[in-house]
Amino acid sequence: MASSIRADAVALEVAGLHKRFGTVQAVTDLSFGVAPGRITGFLGPNGAGKTTTLRILLGLVKATAGTATIGGQRYEDLAQPLRRVGALLESTSFHPARRARDHLRMCAIGAGIERTRVAEVLDLVGLADVGGRRVGGFSLGMRQRLGLAAALLGDPPVLILDEPGNGLDPQGIAWLRDFLRYLATQGRTVLISSHLLAEMAQIADDVVIIAAGHARASGPLSSLTAQVGSAMRVRTPEPDRLLGVMAAARFPARRLTEDLVLVEGVTPNRLGPVLAQSQIVVYELINQSTDLESVFLSLTGPEIAAPAVPPAVPPAATGQPAAPPP
Amino acid sequence: MIRSVRAELFKLRTSPGPWVVLGATLLFTALGIVVVFLVGKGHGHVRFVAPVSTFRLRRLIGSGFAVGGIWMAAVVGVLAVTGEYRHKTMTQTLLVEPRRGTLLAAKAVAALIWGIGLAIASLLFVGAMGLPLLHTEGGSVSRLFDQAGAVLPGLFAAFALLALLGAGLGTLVKNQVAAVVTILAITFIVEPVLDGLLPEVGRWLPSAAAAAVAGGLAPAGERAHLLSWWLAAIVLAAWGLVPIVVGYFVTFDQDVT
Repeated sequence: MASSIRADAVALEVAGLHKRFGTVQAVTDLSFGVAPGRITGFLGPNGAGKTTTLRILLGLVKATAGTATIGGQRYEDLAQPLRRVGALLESTSFHPARRARDHLRMCAIGAGIERTRVAEVLDLVGLADVGGRRVGGFSLGMRQRLGLAAALLGDPPVLILDEPGNGLDPQGIAWLRDFLRYLATQGRTVLISSHLLAEMAQIADDVVIIAAGHARASGPLSSLTAQVGSAMRVRTPEPDRLLGVMAAARFPARRLTEDLVLVEGVTPNRLGPVLAQSQIVVYELINQSTDLESVFLSLTGPEIAAPAVPPAVPPAATGQPAAPPP
Repeated sequence: MIRSVRAELFKLRTSPGPWVVLGATLLFTALGIVVVFLVGKGHGHVRFVAPVSTFRLRRLIGSGFAVGGIWMAAVVGVLAVTGEYRHKTMTQTLLVEPRRGTLLAAKAVAALIWGIGLAIASLLFVGAMGLPLLHTEGGSVSRLFDQAGAVLPGLFAAFALLALLGAGLGTLVKNQVAAVVTILAITFIVEPVLDGLLPEVGRWLPSAAAAAVAGGLAPAGERAHLLSWWLAAIVLAAWGLVPIVVGYFVTFDQDVT
């Protein structure tokens, strides 16, 4: 959705990342890239290793093995980290007795950012009127805004946001959605971890899906939904002939009921012409194309019940790679 | 590094803890002034006695020091480090300065500067409260200034080095309350007891070393065997630096989750 990529936008790269906390293996051999100037949704259920991965990327947690880099550099090697990367992390906290403006000034001083920027970012997140108030009296939504203000302080080309919508009320979520869209139009590299899949579907260009510390899938959102999602239900008086035609067209199909056939791995645009050509009578054609949520569940759900199975192509490949096991 | 020190000083300035410590230091100083003037009081009634002797004039200058106020400098060092853990602000701090060695050094330097600030505040307080008292009791103000030149460098050094010790302790202990309690325990229990039992060991402890650095400003300065000032300065610096270095590797370099 990024209209034009910022000239200084860089890619993020996670390669062969492992992290073990004591006996808990939080991240296992995780690899993915985040393309410059694009919005990437980093998705996974709670405990999947999202926060750990982001914290490694930001130098807060040390990887047991592997690397996580920003434009090829580790965060702690960046010359001016706040001007390169803005981050909002879940457990980012504030000194309750410090004024919001002072929190930002403190960051600006440490990062060598001009002080005029403090008022700018306060204004940007809608906290201009309460900049002089102590953070202890802030609501969760106001804290989240202040965290975003801190992330934007250095006007960085890269933004890393960990569950930015967590704990927000519906109004806050609506504000955040608009704000993220606004940021998305500015050509920054943005990595947002979330379990708010519907929100991600509206904003992300790419997604990376992880579960139990493993990468499950990654790529453009559109190709991912197409790959897993598309299926058509066809109601027809001649199901047997339809199955024959589908077999000839190499579309995996199976009969659901007396007059209902499920054709998988196709879009309406591909199935329609085939049906017309074979002059099959169709009573009903239902697009079962799945949304991000179903992709997510199909990729992460079964793995929770039966972990450690990679999302592999079945070993006995039959020339119909999209065919799921019956 | 300079930016990080400035940020750390700004943090101290915009949180209440260090100001509470400043207040406590002034309170200790006031107590010290009273103690110095009360020396020689008669039985049953309190009478101010002008501190005319050289020793008592020095005590007046170091009056914050004399009753343990100097340990407030150590508390500031503790706050500079442990405040980040207590308020979970370490994440934001490390995003601004991800080089942890630089960050810890900046914290130590900021604590040290604040410690010197406490010494200055304490001295100003002595000027505001002590000098008029001294004057009305017939003491010699000019002699007080003569004495000041001799003990001020040591006083500043002692405040600065104790702030360093506090930063080191905070790095090791991490828990703010536990670190402050540790300081109180060292000052009021461990040192006096050890000093009574084993004076040969006692003089190597922080309070005695601080007293030696500051030229015998504290009650500990009345002990028989103080280290020479330069050896005491090294010992006191070690009391600060060793915990900082050990703390860096043991706690400060850990994952921040």
